[in-house]
Amino acid sequence: MSQSTVPPAPEKTQGSEAVAGTERQDARKTWWFALDMSFREERFFMLLAVFIGIFSGLAVVCFRLAIDWSRIALLGPMPETHDWRLLAAPVLISLLVAVLVIHVFPQVRGSGVNQTKAALYIFNGYIPFRTAVGKFITAGLAIGAGHSLGPEDPSLQIGASLSSFLGRRMALSREKLRLLAPVGAAAGLAAAFNAPISAVLFVIEEVIGRWSAGILGSVVLSAVSSVVVARWFLGSETLFRIPPVTFMRPTELIAYAVLGIAGGVGAVAFARAIGYLQPRLRAWPRWTQYFQAAGAGLIVGLIGFLGAPQVMGAGYQYIDQAMHDQFTWKVLAMLAGLKIIATTLSFVSGTPGGMFAPTLFIGAMLGGAVGGVERAFYPHLTGSTGTYALVGMGVLFAGFLRAPLTSVFMVLEVSGDYSIIVPVIVANTVAYVISRALQPTPIFDLLTRQDGLVLPSLEEERDQTILHVEDAMRPVTAPVLEAEESVTDARLLVQDSKSDLFLVRMSPSGWSSITKEDLDRLSGEGKGELTLLSILPTGRLPYLYPDHPLDLALRYVHQVPVIPVVHRANLHRLQGVISRDDILAKYGSVGVEEAGRE
Amino acid sequence: MKQVNVQPVTNRPAAVIAILLVLAVLGFLAVHHLVNRFQQEKKALGRRLYERGQAEQGAGHPDRAIEDFRAALSYDHDDFQYQISLARALRDTGRTEESEAYLVNLWERAPQDGAVNLALARLFAREGSVDRAIQYYHNAIYGVWASSADTRQRDARFELIGFLLQENAKPQAQAELITLSAALGADVEQQLRVAELFERAQDYEHALAQYESVVRRNRGNDAALAGAGEAAFQLGRYRTAEGYLSAAAKLNTKDPPSAQLLQTSELILQIAPFRRHISNAERNRRIRSAFAQAGKRLESCARSESAEPGGQTATPNLPALRQQWIDMEGRLSQLSSSSEAELPDALMDLVFRIEQEAQTTCGDGTEADRALLLLSEDRGGADR
Repeated sequence: MSQSTVPPAPEKTQGSEAVAGTERQDARKTWWFALDMSFREERFFMLLAVFIGIFSGLAVVCFRLAIDWSRIALLGPMPETHDWRLLAAPVLISLLVAVLVIHVFPQVRGSGVNQTKAALYIFNGYIPFRTAVGKFITAGLAIGAGHSLGPEDPSLQIGASLSSFLGRRMALSREKLRLLAPVGAAAGLAAAFNAPISAVLFVIEEVIGRWSAGILGSVVLSAVSSVVVARWFLGSETLFRIPPVTFMRPTELIAYAVLGIAGGVGAVAFARAIGYLQPRLRAWPRWTQYFQAAGAGLIVGLIGFLGAPQVMGAGYQYIDQAMHDQFTWKVLAMLAGLKIIATTLSFVSGTPGGMFAPTLFIGAMLGGAVGGVERAFYPHLTGSTGTYALVGMGVLFAGFLRAPLTSVFMVLEVSGDYSIIVPVIVANTVAYVISRALQPTPIFDLLTRQDGLVLPSLEEERDQTILHVEDAMRPVTAPVLEAEESVTDARLLVQDSKSDLFLVRMSPSGWSSITKEDLDRLSGEGKGELTLLSILPTGRLPYLYPDHPLDLALRYVHQVPVIPVVHRANLHRLQGVISRDDILAKYGSVGVEEAGRE
Repeated sequence: MKQVNVQPVTNRPAAVIAILLVLAVLGFLAVHHLVNRFQQEKKALGRRLYERGQAEQGAGHPDRAIEDFRAALSYDHDDFQYQISLARALRDTGRTEESEAYLVNLWERAPQDGAVNLALARLFAREGSVDRAIQYYHNAIYGVWASSADTRQRDARFELIGFLLQENAKPQAQAELITLSAALGADVEQQLRVAELFERAQDYEHALAQYESVVRRNRGNDAALAGAGEAAFQLGRYRTAEGYLSAAAKLNTKDPPSAQLLQTSELILQIAPFRRHISNAERNRRIRSAFAQAGKRLESCARSESAEPGGQTATPNLPALRQQWIDMEGRLSQLSSSSEAELPDALMDLVFRIEQEAQTTCGDGTEADRALLLLSEDRGGADR
């Protein structure tokens, strides 16, 4: 970009018009340059996140329309039992989808969450645009035809793919490209679920897999802007009409804890079924993949045909009905069981579609059923079946997807009622703990490993022992010298010590060190009366605080043999010392402990 | 991974933002068009399903209608008409809990809505929750209606009155009827309906007034004439009743209940001895006739009593009354005597006691016995 200069005023000559044109051009350049300068990299990235949110929101709105349209076209406006379309549509569409997945869009298999995560950690944020197109078409057809899958995870992948495409078109750096994938993922999920906070948390818990303050702002911006777009077109109402939530007595927490136990066990059964079947089906000959989805479609269609069309598709309207006491507890329990079977088959057959909606469906039905049974035995319980269904959604989310934070905020965001928070936390925690105990590997990690990939996860990070300086430091045994002391005095102080190196508390601040050998040498040179302050080099020792990560200490131990660890409120107060040997010994012992646990 | 070989555009961020903005606007317009079209199709689909549900419900298949209404709602969540229809269909299939949950949910959203309150009232009426039903009926009567508010509020009150009468809460029904009649216009059918309800509520005074109001407007309304006659009859105003009933009979000869009442009224007027404007001779003749009728009634009742197993008289009063009748029979000849001023009353007192006792002991007698019995309840009724 050229710098603008002010030219001398031109005379009115033949060439004056040309000069005036140049002036205007220069003026435009100046104006454009100023505008460009206002978009520094960080600001530009923030604005880009907003645009990613807008485009993802538009794409997700179209995706939801496509699912609705294909459902009406394929299953009819009102799916009824014993309608032949319930059998034919899933089978025929599954065959078409299988051909598309195998030959045209091989990267659209599964939910899209692990694929987005893999793109972030393995492919530098690269997700082909074709993935968005393929996911849109195949998931739209499959869910519309009645496969027991949801639109949220595909929306997440569509958003991530769009953002990756935008980033590549702008030739952003590899670092920025990596950041864009979760930004788009959050936007896609937020628009699909109409819940920005839950979407942001889910992306942090399941896609990024670690807390990263650097990207949080962009993720939030994109999620919020995509939700604004989705609400603009689809209305601001939540996916479910939430019934009045009642929670009167603390003793009722026991009833919610029981729901947590049922949810935890149900989540483990669901996860194990998927974990067991998926690798076995994949091991079958390649040609069978054309018919695996059709077989799954046939069974799902048969369930609908024989009397439970509710399990077909995402099933949000049935969650809504469950929350409004429109099913008996027996029907709710049956629907939960059938949905687990249908979703397991749809998912392991490689049909593109998400787990988010089925998880909520199963949770709501299970919650309603457990609530119904509890109320039958204890009529004084104040929570309605709808309240239990609402809590149940969060319970299965915590137990199956193993996103405990998202599970709590999702229920709060969907219900808009914070009075339910205590039952939600209790039930979700119970489900999460049971699920972790019975199924150590979370479902998305399990699926990723079955794909031959190992990706970081927040749960893994939670399990890792984070070591701090205080874990490895040792107490100070050698005398600590003061900077004002003379060499002679210092020699007297250290003469009985077995240590060779001594820390010196400098004045007015800082630390230094000196060896016994140096003190002897200085004394022999006749410098016994000099203070340590006058003879020690001006360069100070680095120091650490006890709460510093142990990794930080590693940066300094090659420079100095011993690092002082000081109090944060008083830098002259020595808490301990740390050396390379101390650090390595600590890492060694922790490594042995973790290996033993594994 | 593919190599992206393009010029870095972030050197010109303003241009990039401008292009993105244009693309976003174009995207908005395109999606707006798509969404609008799809929403219209969904609404039309919902309307078709709703109409199908209505037809199913009309044909007496509320269970099938439920599915249609639910499907209609899935295409248009906010349509109140669909929601209420679903709740009604649920109620009609006996799924009262579901219906209640649904209606309560609707009520929470629009507590003043007349249709929702009426549906809830009907639900609780069906469940037998009288207090709650009355509460929601009142909400419906004073609630907000989307159209024809006056008519719907009046219909709701009619329904409430019907419910109250069914629950035998007559005083409450009478109170509602008085309020309703005050707000009625010139609609003859509505007035007749209110008058009939007054009759059912046994408020014959208001019923008569209501019928008379119709008769004043239309003297040829046989239903109003018959109703007025019946109400007057129930009030013991037999002369009035006879007037209305005979007028009704002239207009409509095929009304057996009215004809029966007319016959009874005429008989009462013929046998009543205490009517004004009749001569002493006629009065004495009527008293003798009534006395003879009472004697016959005693005899027939005594015969039926002795025919009972055991042949014992079940009621000790009958022989005593028989003795009194025999004692008084000898005094009949003194009826014309001016010194026996109390005798007509004494004779008729005995006649009335005999008829009442015989009615209690032996059941219904002849038409003349019934006429005497009615007369015994109100001696002056024949003159009103």
